[in-house]
Amino acid sequence: MIGGVYAVISIGLTLVFGVMGIVNFAQAEFLMLGMFVAYYAWAWLGLDPLLAAPLAFVVVFLLGAAIQRVLIRRVLKAPEVAQIFLTVGLLIVLENAALLMFGSGFRSVSTPYQTSSLQLGPLFISVPYLAAFAMSVASGLALWLFLKSSWFGRAMRATAQDPMAARLMGIDADRMHMLAFALGVGLTAFGGAVILPYLTASPTVGTQFAVLMFTVVVLGGLGSVAGAVVGGLAVGIIQSLSALVFPIQLQNLVLFVVFIAVLAFRPKGMLGAAR
Amino acid sequence: MSGLSPRQWTGLALLAALAIALPFAFEPRGYGIRILCLALLFAAMAQAWNIVAGLANQISLGHAAFFGIGAYTSTLLLIHFGITPWLGMFAAAILGGAAALLISLPTMRLRGHYFALATLAFGEVMRVIGNSWGGLTGGPVGISVPFAQPSLALMQFRETRSSYWLMLAALVVVTLVFVAIKRSRLGYRLRAIKENADAAEVIGVDTTRTKIIAAVISGALTAALGTLYAQFQFFFDPDTVFGVASVSVRMAMIAIVGGIGTAAGPILGALFVIPLEEFANQVFSAQAAGLSQLVFGLLLILVILIEPRGFMAIGPRLQRLLRKGDRR
Amino acid sequence: MTAALLEVSGVGKRFGGLQALSDVSLSVAAGEIVGLIGPNGAGKTTLFSTLVGLHRPESGSIWLGGRDLVGLKPHRIAAAGMVKTFQNVALFLDSSVLDNVLTGGLMRHSIPAARDLARRCLERVGIDSIADKLARDLSFPERARVEVARALCTEPRILLLDEAMAALNHAEMDAFMALLRQLREEGLTLVVVEHHMRAIMALCDRLVVLNFGQMIATGTPEQIARDPAVVEAYLGRSAA
Ligand SMILES: Nc1ncnc2c1ncn2[C@@H]1O[C@H](COP(=O)(O)OP(=O)(O)OP(=O)(O)O)[C@@H](O)[C@H]1O
Ligand SMILES: [Mg+2]
Repeated sequence: MIGGVYAVISIGLTLVFGVMGIVNFAQAEFLMLGMFVAYYAWAWLGLDPLLAAPLAFVVVFLLGAAIQRVLIRRVLKAPEVAQIFLTVGLLIVLENAALLMFGSGFRSVSTPYQTSSLQLGPLFISVPYLAAFAMSVASGLALWLFLKSSWFGRAMRATAQDPMAARLMGIDADRMHMLAFALGVGLTAFGGAVILPYLTASPTVGTQFAVLMFTVVVLGGLGSVAGAVVGGLAVGIIQSLSALVFPIQLQNLVLFVVFIAVLAFRPKGMLGAAR
Repeated sequence: MSGLSPRQWTGLALLAALAIALPFAFEPRGYGIRILCLALLFAAMAQAWNIVAGLANQISLGHAAFFGIGAYTSTLLLIHFGITPWLGMFAAAILGGAAALLISLPTMRLRGHYFALATLAFGEVMRVIGNSWGGLTGGPVGISVPFAQPSLALMQFRETRSSYWLMLAALVVVTLVFVAIKRSRLGYRLRAIKENADAAEVIGVDTTRTKIIAAVISGALTAALGTLYAQFQFFFDPDTVFGVASVSVRMAMIAIVGGIGTAAGPILGALFVIPLEEFANQVFSAQAAGLSQLVFGLLLILVILIEPRGFMAIGPRLQRLLRKGDRR
Repeated sequence: MTAALLEVSGVGKRFGGLQALSDVSLSVAAGEIVGLIGPNGAGKTTLFSTLVGLHRPESGSIWLGGRDLVGLKPHRIAAAGMVKTFQNVALFLDSSVLDNVLTGGLMRHSIPAARDLARRCLERVGIDSIADKLARDLSFPERARVEVARALCTEPRILLLDEAMAALNHAEMDAFMALLRQLREEGLTLVVVEHHMRAIMALCDRLVVLNFGQMIATGTPEQIARDPAVVEAYLGRSAA
């Protein structure tokens, strides 16, 4: 079930790659930002993180739009080295800016449902997990509908496939890129807010999720939204299984190995074979 | 690609004399000379990274793997078997080269972002292993190089000056290797791969083999430099020597800031970045953690936006500007 | 006719749903100049790419001088003596013309020897005057000729030229054809893709016609010019 959340935070990454062809190494930092937005919404406004998730989305969406406009846009045609290290630089800046602003402490919220769980037959399901899952599914569906049916969604897919042709059709590729990037990081922030009830926020939390997100996306095929969903579920399952066998530190190792293996043998992802 | 002119030789000789004499301008055990040592070491590391990234455009984000392997190999050999770090350095290079071979085999077909991702993950694998295999590495608490009577044989020095000369020698060696590769058939082949891999294959370049050879050389040199680092710092932990930001990205950034693919780039880059970082550390760390890292990140972004080819491109760019000015 | 140098039989290649080549068979004798023609999208470039190992065919075999090449990487095929030029021109753009060509010579020679060879190749193709220019700064016709010089510098037994004359004017084309004939005299075997019928007819000993990935005719230029299937492929059904 945790896979559903993984899917949502990773969809953003895959969206950015799909539309612009850029791997955003800083993506997980937006998850961290989402967590902090939700945390302060809770601390100052008393807002439940689940309700603050849309707020996190909006705030990070705007930030993402600005970053795309000022930074990313300039390297879209640059050599890959420039693209890679621009987002790596962004990662360092965001992480340390957060460290300066929020301090290095760990912050968590307390919600009434935090420790409660539901009984479903023989299974106990913790409420925060269930809520996170439900919210993820909802936002995933919303994105899917948006991409599928709105004019923006279609224009964005057209831009991803062929920027030149899209331009000829009167689509402003610049605007589409901005939208895709903003949407991508916004969605990841949304995921960050949603998991806050059962995790703690800290400026370095992004690092923990970075590999996970990349694994999800690479498993599903970089650039494929459906792939991210499948990849998210797969990573959730891999994690639960490896938790049974390995001590906690080595679980990440399993992910890494899966990650490298997939990159090496199926760089287009598990679903990519059909193309 | 001809040799250097007499004037360039003279310049180079002067530069060498200056580099050798430089430590006498510093306080023997002061902070300044330590920073200089680190700058030279990182220049050499960036130069090693430059072999794969600069010549073949295989952008590695995982060179910390080799660096850490080098630091641990010589240190463990010294602790457990009393083997001198000089031999340890060779063992480190062999293991580093082997690790590079191991990771190259599955990833050599990858390009661009995919290669960067895979190497990033490899570095992280090594970091996780370093942290969790406590029995071997001492785990997250780190490991110390045993102190001994300062002696050349154990690569431990009374004066930081001696470390400086060692680092300088290392930088010269790695730079010579870089230049030799660049001018050799291997260098031509790497450049062909960088500029058009399909065309290179069709006219007879074994692209896989070529890239692997370069990766192994680069990995071995990086590991040897890991040994020097261990002997210089006397203490390290997995997060430092296998770190993405502390090693992999920093090596790359230095090469990029100076000028990727050029021999002088990593040297210029290190002499600029490392002192700046240390300076920022000193000035800011009292006030707020993270500020110097923030500066580091901002600098990286700025360089990429302003001149992704680094300092080395600024000279020609200025000349062009001046010439334009003349014509008007 | 002497024994075939290149023997292609039953080669098939798909791209997803598109059968780009189906059951293509042809043989080229040592010292021959064979023309490969066909409408746009017929599969000529795909056939060349498959021959030099950039694509792996799903079926069929490719023999060069008694050796099966299917499954070999392009550099092994280059070492065996078969090289192609790229229709869309694939130079090393940030290198000088001389370095581009020289790289072709490195397969068999040291750098100084490859450099001498590269100079001779540039001369033969008539572009020694631009040896020090950056490939990026060249015009399209110049680039196409650097392609040819680079391929020659690998010292192939058989050279596959993919529209190498596309951007040449009449005089240049005549000179280029003279060069190809000269190379043939020296023992090189050539397969040329060209849309320019005058050149093809004048140059080739034999033509092979491809349409929708299939070989529809083969014969001397005169035979091909009279072949109704070929006329139909080029002019469409209505004209036949
Ligand atoms: N890498 C590829 N992936 C998918 N389809 C391809 C690929 N390369 C070629 N094709 C398709 O295969 C068919 C044959 O193309 P090819 O380039 O071989 O034709 P051609 O005869 O060289 O044409 P032209 O005269 O225009 O150069 C075309 O329909 C083309 O779209
Ligand atoms: Mg073609």
